[in-house]
Amino acid sequence: MRRVLVATAYTLGLPILLILIWWLASLGATSIFVPKPGPLVAEFFETWMGDRFFTDVLPSLARFAVGTALAIVLGALIGLLVGLNRGLRDFTEPVFEFFRATPPPVLIPVLGLLMGVGDDMKVTVIAVGAIWPVLLNTVEGVRAADAVQTETSRSYGIHGLNRVRYQILPSAAPQILAGVRQALPVGIILMVISEMFFSSSGLGFSIIQFQRSFAVLPMWGGILLLGLIGFAVSLLFKLVERRILRWYYGLKDLQNAS
Amino acid sequence: MPPENNAPPITGRGRTLAPEQTLLSVRGLKKVYETDGGDIEAVRDLTFDLGRNELTCLVGPSGSGKTTLLKCIAGLLEPTSGEIVLDGKRVTGPPKKMAVVFQEYGRSLFPWLRVAENVELPLKNAGVPKAKRAELVAEALESVGLSHVPRSYPWQLSGGMQQRVAIARAIAYQPEVLLMDEPFAAVDAQTRADLEDLVRSIRERLGVTVLFVTHDIDESVYLGSRVIILSSSPTVIQEDLIIDLPDQRDQLETRALPRFTELRHHVYEQIQLAKRGFRPDEARLG
Repeated sequence: MRRVLVATAYTLGLPILLILIWWLASLGATSIFVPKPGPLVAEFFETWMGDRFFTDVLPSLARFAVGTALAIVLGALIGLLVGLNRGLRDFTEPVFEFFRATPPPVLIPVLGLLMGVGDDMKVTVIAVGAIWPVLLNTVEGVRAADAVQTETSRSYGIHGLNRVRYQILPSAAPQILAGVRQALPVGIILMVISEMFFSSSGLGFSIIQFQRSFAVLPMWGGILLLGLIGFAVSLLFKLVERRILRWYYGLKDLQNAS
Repeated sequence: MPPENNAPPITGRGRTLAPEQTLLSVRGLKKVYETDGGDIEAVRDLTFDLGRNELTCLVGPSGSGKTTLLKCIAGLLEPTSGEIVLDGKRVTGPPKKMAVVFQEYGRSLFPWLRVAENVELPLKNAGVPKAKRAELVAEALESVGLSHVPRSYPWQLSGGMQQRVAIARAIAYQPEVLLMDEPFAAVDAQTRADLEDLVRSIRERLGVTVLFVTHDIDESVYLGSRVIILSSSPTVIQEDLIIDLPDQRDQLETRALPRFTELRHHVYEQIQLAKRGFRPDEARLG
């Protein structure tokens, strides 16, 4: 019990401290651009948890979910193919490096012109931008398959798709998930930016609208919401990762302890 | 002082058997690795047969191509020339009737699978029905003394126990030939003695043929009914020695027998000879 309390105090300590400092610093502020904690929270619920939740927040989240899911699935699939095939790897590597080095937001104007301004464009932007960390990490993870594990598979007649399923994918899982961890914030960033460019709904669109109409508190509320979404996404990811990679963290802990 | 073999082999060759006694034949096996720095001849010319239910140990100086030979037999490496025949069929890839136990148990077991799942995997891959799988896994774990840890991960166990899991996986696969590549090189001495007795009892109970690679002379004499001594690289067979010790072996009593000491001496001398570069094939030619 005591330990739980101490752990909670550690976790919540800094956020509470920061809010306290913010509250103190903004006590006497008169500028309309400086938000205060109390009014911001009230405004946050009023603006974002009403109709807007269904007209802006959910559509944004849906685009993020579909785009990122596409990035993960396609990234892992292509990464698997490329990682298992040396020729294909040499053939694609320079191109992949180029695409990875290109900042994903520059895709938005191009894809906007090519695909129009609908949901499919935004989903594509998210998928194309977030795919690279997954893809490149998967290639690395697959390539790093242990030689003894591979000989074990071969000697027991485990090959083809079964080898991918029973050996390659599980052994590359830590690296693939490291790629997914990097891909998630990229997905959120692209979700917001793609809506700021051309859109008539969504979180990014609303925040820009509020900013342009000097609705400062609702704008701050939107920023807060984005922060919370990012936080929730990474928390969810950690839960899933801990579950999938329980063996990996157990093994690591053991190695670190000895 | 070499003991009399039934059919004394030609120098540089191992014992060959009549076809009906033979389970595995190695004929004129040669393996050359092609590298950027030129060709490396690891194995020059190996010929021998393994009879059914024999436990043969393979010893030789380090770098004598023991692992190369084992991998060729396992179908993991393609020989440059010569052939391996298992039960009348030429080996071109890993055969179904063979299981390999590797030295690096920590890397050979899959760390994301629990003990029972590791043992089960080759069976699952081969499409063995679930109930049959469960039965084979339970039996295999039982016979290596690990019935109590099916839900553990291999890395939670000691080195000796991990190698037991790898042996259980091999047994459950129901092979006719069990290939073991220095399986106990990385476990401590006491565990090693237990595992040696385990291998002997497995051979006896399951009727498998075992080819056991080791660099430990005592181990080879204690375990084997026959010890094949390899020359230094490029490898030929230096001697194919029958171990005429009683079939019932015991860590204390067998090792205390005068005959054990003699055989051990002999193998030791042969390996020293091999290390100094003595080659039976050259002795034959010149």
